Amino acid sequence: MDVTVEPRGAATVVRLVGSVDGITAGPLEARLLEQVQGGAVKLVGDLSGVAYTSSAGLRALLATLKATRSQGGDFRLAGVQPAVLKVLELSGFTSILKHYPDVDAAVQSFGS
Amino acid sequence: MTTNNKRVALVIGAGSVKCAAALGLWRALERAGIGLDMVVGCSGGSLYASVMALGYDLDTCARLTRELWTPAITKKRATRQILGALFPGLFGFDGKFGMVDDTAMWDALSGPYGGKRFEDAKIPLHIVTTDLHTGEKVVLSSGPVQDAIRASIAIPYIWRPWKVGERWLMDGCMSDPLPVDVAIREGANVILAMGFESPYPRKLRNGSRYAFHVNSVYTNNLLRANFAFHNLAHHAEIITVLPEFNRNIGLFDTDQIPYVMEEGERATEQHLPYLEKLLAGAA
Repeated sequence: MDVTVEPRGAATVVRLVGSVDGITAGPLEARLLEQVQGGAVKLVGDLSGVAYTSSAGLRALLATLKATRSQGGDFRLAGVQPAVLKVLELSGFTSILKHYPDVDAAVQSFGS
Repeated sequence: MTTNNKRVALVIGAGSVKCAAALGLWRALERAGIGLDMVVGCSGGSLYASVMALGYDLDTCARLTRELWTPAITKKRATRQILGALFPGLFGFDGKFGMVDDTAMWDALSGPYGGKRFEDAKIPLHIVTTDLHTGEKVVLSSGPVQDAIRASIAIPYIWRPWKVGERWLMDGCMSDPLPVDVAIREGANVILAMGFESPYPRKLRNGSRYAFHVNSVYTNNLLRANFAFHNLAHHAEIITVLPEFNRNIGLFDTDQIPYVMEEGERATEQHLPYLEKLLAGAA
């Protein structure tokens, strides 16, 4: 899993490339929480490069969501691929977490 | 089979003929040399979970279920029960109801499952049903398989609940349409979950369609709620296998089984690289 971080306006964009699953979930969660602990509580997860997810991956995303919200921020997703979106829908994620078609829209949703 | 201390379960949720996609999943796993440590089935999924667990080969599984699940099993109306439900004072109502006579269905089930017991299964088998009176989920893991399936597919309003032991049981879909928690409780830590949401008809043309539709609304929401909880609350790795069907698959479209199996196989293939790594001990 490749993770790149880029500040964009009021938000911090974390671009994920690869699978979000039981193999990558641990390091991914650590990397995301590191961002939150460093003050990046308005976080955008760019999932346009993620074609696969499993329950362990979902738990990493949920931990990030909880961490940002507990500090007054939010974790929003962008560019979620159809196969991943189906799993997010079935798992109830789309009812607790905001997602946008692309990174620009997700960044703008945080305002300036 | 168990690899690197990982116990692999297949959970086949409710979904009538669509559940045949599990046979496609099985084909993909067999090709990859991945065995199953347990199979859990609910409602239509119980038909497929059982044939797989009882040790029939893939082609036989496809044939048996195709021959069993035909419109013939719904042809005869349960007139006495319908009258009893409408006019309980005149005809009596015993608290159980189904519009369709279940004799043909019971006979059809006796082909592949008659005389078979859970204890005969080559792969441990669990079938999910619902207690009519308490609403509680009831998991059957011993005794006659035919009775367990009959109870698990007792679709409300269509077929009467079925008595197993002292309890009247009905469709497992009413309590847990995709019972991954059963696999977790039984010790699985890698779970292949194949679930299906019930389609909504475009038009509600009559009372039975309306009842079916309302049922689907309940069970689809239940599926999502349960599945969300189990995905997030447990340590087990749940791999969600969701076949894509680009055509309508009706309740008795058994002629579509080859297509449904292909889509199940295709959906599973997308998960194989990860599954193989996982079982090799990468996580």
